[in-house]
Amino acid sequence: MSGAAVEVEQLRKTYVVPERDAGIKAAMTSLVRRRTRSVAAVQEISFAVQSGEVVGFLGPNGAGKTTTLKMLSGLLHPTSGRAEVFGFTPWRRDRDYLGRMALIMGQRSQLQWDIPVVDSYRLNKAVFQISDADFAARLDELTDLLELSDLLRKPARNLSLGERMKCEFAGSLLHRPQVLFLDEPTIGLDVAMQRRIRSFVAEYNRRTGAVVMLTSHYMADVEALCKRVIVIHHGTLLFDGPLAELVRTVAPDKTITVQLSEGNTASRADLAALLGGSVAEAPVEETDTGWRVKVPAADTPAVAARLLTGLPVADVTIEDEPIEAVIEKVFAVTAQELVQASAQIPSAQISSAQISSAQIPSGQTQGQP
Amino acid sequence: MSSETADPRRSQTVDRGPLAHGWVIVRTYVRLGVLNVAQYRGEFYVALANVITLATQFVGIAVIFANTSDLGGWTSAGLVALIGVYTILSGLIAMVIQPSLQQLMEGIRLGTFDFTLTKPADSQLLASVAVVSPAQALNIVFGAGIVGYACIRMGTMIGPLQWLYFCLTLVFGAAIVYSFLTLLGTCAFWWVKVDNILVVFSAVFGQAGRWPLAVFPGWMRVVLSLVIPVGLAVTIPAQALAGGLSGWLVLASGSVAALFFVASRAFWRYALRHYTGASA
Amino acid sequence: MTAPSRTSLDGLEPAPDFSRFSWRALRQYYRGEFAASIAVNVAYRGSVGIWVVTSVIQPIVMIVVWRTVAGPTGTVGGYTASRFVTYFAIMMLVNHLTFIWLMWEFEWRVREGTFSPLLLRPIHPIHKDISDNVAYKVIGLIGILPAMVILILAFHGDLSGMDPLQLIAAVPALVGGAVLRFMIEWVLALSAFWMTKTTALNNFYMSVQTFLSGGFAPLSVFPPLIAAIANWSPFPWTQAFVANVAMGRTTGVHILSGYGVQAIWIAAAFGLLRLVWSRAVRRYSAVGA
Repeated sequence: MSGAAVEVEQLRKTYVVPERDAGIKAAMTSLVRRRTRSVAAVQEISFAVQSGEVVGFLGPNGAGKTTTLKMLSGLLHPTSGRAEVFGFTPWRRDRDYLGRMALIMGQRSQLQWDIPVVDSYRLNKAVFQISDADFAARLDELTDLLELSDLLRKPARNLSLGERMKCEFAGSLLHRPQVLFLDEPTIGLDVAMQRRIRSFVAEYNRRTGAVVMLTSHYMADVEALCKRVIVIHHGTLLFDGPLAELVRTVAPDKTITVQLSEGNTASRADLAALLGGSVAEAPVEETDTGWRVKVPAADTPAVAARLLTGLPVADVTIEDEPIEAVIEKVFAVTAQELVQASAQIPSAQISSAQISSAQIPSGQTQGQP
Repeated sequence: MSSETADPRRSQTVDRGPLAHGWVIVRTYVRLGVLNVAQYRGEFYVALANVITLATQFVGIAVIFANTSDLGGWTSAGLVALIGVYTILSGLIAMVIQPSLQQLMEGIRLGTFDFTLTKPADSQLLASVAVVSPAQALNIVFGAGIVGYACIRMGTMIGPLQWLYFCLTLVFGAAIVYSFLTLLGTCAFWWVKVDNILVVFSAVFGQAGRWPLAVFPGWMRVVLSLVIPVGLAVTIPAQALAGGLSGWLVLASGSVAALFFVASRAFWRYALRHYTGASA
Repeated sequence: MTAPSRTSLDGLEPAPDFSRFSWRALRQYYRGEFAASIAVNVAYRGSVGIWVVTSVIQPIVMIVVWRTVAGPTGTVGGYTASRFVTYFAIMMLVNHLTFIWLMWEFEWRVREGTFSPLLLRPIHPIHKDISDNVAYKVIGLIGILPAMVILILAFHGDLSGMDPLQLIAAVPALVGGAVLRFMIEWVLALSAFWMTKTTALNNFYMSVQTFLSGGFAPLSVFPPLIAAIANWSPFPWTQAFVANVAMGRTTGVHILSGYGVQAIWIAAAFGLLRLVWSRAVRRYSAVGA
């Protein structure tokens, strides 16, 4: 057998949504005739995940990533297509399958509200048919990893959101699932707790080799955990590959900020002379102490060198574009172009000016500035 | 299909058959209900307040029988037995069926129902025993007491066969009521808030369920036996004690129970297939 | 000199004086609030429909039961089977027009803290409830009136002895009954300020109320002891009285004295309401929103 833990082929999910205008007349009409609209939440997605991989799903709200996750965890029946996780078809909801997977959703808790957390765990113990010995051993391990010893005896009601999330994780892993579906697991948590959870998930993946599939808004989650990302937008798979590849493909800009030494100024004209004619196109901003220039990544060394040699520079900073901005750019492009771009050999460079107009002509190489 | 053979990272689960597993689950949730009993303090008072309702019911029966010697063929003691059966069933509803359905609706609305679906156990079972309010067991006790009192008042000996029929039809009645309510509750998958429909059921059960089928005109008898079968569920067990049942009636009651149970199961499965989940 | 600033206080209209009670202000308020309430009830017509359906069930069951008790020819407490039908059909209408559900809602209101904005308005929260309630009753009539007619026709109700004058006389009785019941049950609803779960109390009240107001059976059917207990309570005056006037069982000077008794009970209920309300507000502020 091919051995992929998760195999998804042409998965599709279409919702039928009722539509109605406001007002009494429309309300009356809707009694007689219902207008509906088809929403394609997921359109023919295919990918495969190997055992032990951690995959991040990126996409704006409504992109279809949570829908995909829900189909793989067996909650939703797809409209068409095939998926197999460890050989099981998830939406058949085989007991055997359910017993080896876990779904953890951010901000939704399955802990019982008013009783001590450990009693909620005993519920899971009964449902998942965990033996006493295993239960004790795993609870110990998880308590250690997540620092739960003070929390176990408290009712969930009395825990903070972060503490509850930790307990949620522990409870969901008592049955040692082989595949974890995490839906926005760190949403609403403070930065320290987010880091905690991330390192825990990484550790769990390391110790058990479980497949982890996670959706998140926070790039930090994806950066920290996922070597591989799948970008979904409008229900279509836009990109599937290493995160670094994605970043590079979109070829973000870097921002060079030069601080001129005391008493020195330079005019736009000076800069224009220094950088050549392309200054008129490149975003250039005057700061209190100098200038800030935004240039494509590939041009950065050359431009920086010119600035450093041509101006009385006291300090220079070169910054990456924040990854969020990168991802936003990704979503702004059309599907076709990005798929083409990612399929090509990595030398495809794309000019920043053209990205900002939301079109990526493929195959364009950057000449000398 | 990947096999489950010797994965050294996975320990053995305690593998029971589905029935034993189901029993463990029920037991676990009952225990949970007891653990939560401090939350259900108010329920004790509700159960106690029910005593007043019962009292007015008894006064009503007394008034009726001051004016007539039988009500559609039922004696005063028979009617009391019927009230007892009604109380047992309504206690069962209040203890498990209704709060669990309430929880189901909340779960569907908030999306926490997804957690029920991802557990390796029958989702309908999990949803049905999710909340147990032990305080309402008081009503079941009251009901049993009333039944006992009615039997004493009836004077005539009730044979062992009729006792058996009583127990059987009581179970059937419980199954009917459970299945019917679950059918209604399953509509929550589409309409999310089905409180209103449940209110209608409460009204029908609470009003029509306190009287024997015999007082209702023909077409209403049919409705209360086959459409909203509360009349059937309550009257037949009471009749086992009051007048005696024929084996055929027991069979009929069992068939209706089976029918509704199968329907509730099928509808549940159908609902799951079309489940769209709370918004992502 | 610069142009007058728009933030200058002289430029603003004086705020209405909320301390003085004004009928005009109240009328204006009701117009607005009532329109909103009607709109809400139309939007929730599904719920309204369901409630109407529920209101029909109890009368049907009672008709069926008492019809059986009376038998085809007998009378019970002066009612024949057909008279029972009329009685319960009318009681259904009266119940709909006097009924409030607030004792169930207040528990939720207090728990969710939605009372606070209501308390901050310069108008007593009871007015909003009155408006909602009346709007519901009006919309619900669309279902209840036909249901009443159908009941009488389907079960062959006896309409003899009813005449237009009696029906006209029943209207003030109905208004009085509605006001009285509204006040009593609003006070009951206030129990939510002291008890977190009012269900038990509500159920208790409902059982007693239904029984003593003639909802289970006309009071003439009851033995003298129970009838006496009922008559010492305000409950018969909320519903049974109205039905009796409408059906022609209470006539002439008894109607007038009936109005009087209603008025006395209303005054008593009003006093109780003000007393409990002031305590309730104090308690709400003490406990915190």
